[in-house]
Amino acid sequence: MKMTAERWQSLTLGIVGIALFLAAWEAIGVNRLAGLTWPPLSAVFQFMFDPTKAQLFIRAMEASFSMVILGYVTGSVVGIALAGLVHVLPVVRPGMDRLASVIHAIPAIALAPLFIVLISREFTGMAIAALNVFFILYVSTTSGLNNSTAGHRDLFQVLGSSRTTRLLRLDLPAALPAVVSGMKYSVPAAFIGAILGEWFGSSRGLGLLMVSAMQNFQIPLLWSAVFIASTASLIVFGLMGLLEQFVYGRYK
Amino acid sequence: MNAPLSSAPATAPEAWAINVDHVGKTFTLDGGKELKAIDDVDIKIGQGEFVALLGPSGCGKSTILRLVAALEDVSTGRVTVEGSNPTALSRAHRLGVAFQDHALLPWLTIRDNIALPYKVAGRPVDDKRIAELLALVGLSGFEKARPRQLSGGMRQRVSIARALVLKPDVLLLDEPFGALDAVTRRHMNVELQRIWSEQRITTLLVTHSVEEALFLADRVIVMSGRPGRIIKEIQVPFARPRSPDVQRTMEFHHLADELTLALEPEGHH
Ligand SMILES: Nc1ncnc2c1ncn2[C@@H]1O[C@H](COP(=O)(O)OP(=O)(O)OP(=O)(O)O)[C@@H](O)[C@H]1O
Ligand SMILES: [Mg+2]
Repeated sequence: MKMTAERWQSLTLGIVGIALFLAAWEAIGVNRLAGLTWPPLSAVFQFMFDPTKAQLFIRAMEASFSMVILGYVTGSVVGIALAGLVHVLPVVRPGMDRLASVIHAIPAIALAPLFIVLISREFTGMAIAALNVFFILYVSTTSGLNNSTAGHRDLFQVLGSSRTTRLLRLDLPAALPAVVSGMKYSVPAAFIGAILGEWFGSSRGLGLLMVSAMQNFQIPLLWSAVFIASTASLIVFGLMGLLEQFVYGRYK
Repeated sequence: MNAPLSSAPATAPEAWAINVDHVGKTFTLDGGKELKAIDDVDIKIGQGEFVALLGPSGCGKSTILRLVAALEDVSTGRVTVEGSNPTALSRAHRLGVAFQDHALLPWLTIRDNIALPYKVAGRPVDDKRIAELLALVGLSGFEKARPRQLSGGMRQRVSIARALVLKPDVLLLDEPFGALDAVTRRHMNVELQRIWSEQRITTLLVTHSVEEALFLADRVIVMSGRPGRIIKEIQVPFARPRSPDVQRTMEFHHLADELTLALEPEGHH
């Protein structure tokens, strides 16, 4: 990727923005402008990088992130696969669309108790993450699979293409930008789902840390957990953004 | 393959490679209004014959090509290609089409775009043939480029190479050289004439250039404005292979004038 003047500018502005945000956070915390529950950034970092706490955070991260990944992958695979299925079998499309929107319309929180009894407390977060991701990818893939242009469809017809060949060589590549965008926007959804799920009595994870820190008024711990979860989500989101740029450059 | 002999007496329709038999096409527009694009068009093309189609913009030239390519259905009349329904030809991977808007796949390299017909037909890719065709259209060295890195004229040439790669039985070309400068266009005409002479593919070419039509075709058909009808048809007398010099003969100029006159809308000459 070339670094144009414009890109440098937006990068610089981004860094300045983040720096200002962090500085404001620190200032509010140091001067106790927002009360005791808003610690200075330095205090949070001190707590977070305290070697005696490392074990605690690492275990929580392992637990949460594995649920995020599992939920993300499950949701993506099922979402993309079902979108492919309704594309090949258009008769089932209205039914699948309805089912997906019904699932989406029910708040995940309302489903959580069901998951707890149906699966287990440990996997509730994963299930919510998977549902969130599933919906985003189902919708983006079904719309993406119709993104091929009329001219390209004509081309495949005069070449005597079978449906499968067209799906593999035209519909899927043409859908890729929409799919990758869907994968980008479902990153935060997977994090929210997994961590929210841990609030419902999971025995491990960042979500559990947050709940117990809240109940025991361990403010730096609470902020650290939130900070870790948000940063991880942002980093993955950013990486997916890079992938998205590449795919848009090539496939559109 | 027989030499083109379109003046031969019309026998069974199956004798024609392409038979556009008194065809009309009416489109229904969004508002429910009907638009008669072509009316009673009758074009019979013999095996290995090269026919050029001239006509004002919007007279239905692309529509005729799309009917022959089985991309549209006729409203009246009948289209057969090699004696059967036109879909049979594309299903058998024996149809080559270069579209007006090139239709290259942006995510494939130039080489892979030209290899696409092999892949779709489930045949092994013949890289030697691809290299030959790339050289023919003057794009050697661009194998790894992507369509967006090429100019409009270069993309058109890639799409011609793609149309030719499987050595089709029938070739449909929709203004394939429209985006080219005069020099490249003349060069492409000579090249197209050369490969056509080698393979004698039944060809229907849509063009806006009278000179191109005369230089390449055995027969030139002129259409009127909407609804498109055939208003003139001339047999091109020049022997093959034709050298570019033929374009400087009196006879060529004479025929060109005749066609240009036919193209002028009524009341303007
Ligand atoms: N799918 C369609 N729906 C409605 N009208 C159409 C459709 N395709 C073509 N037409 C109409 O049919 C007429 C003939 O179109 P066509 O594309 O065949 O013209 P053309 O002779 O190829 O013109 P040009 O030289 O500009 O390419 C035009 O008036 C066009 O608006
Ligand atoms: Mg046209």
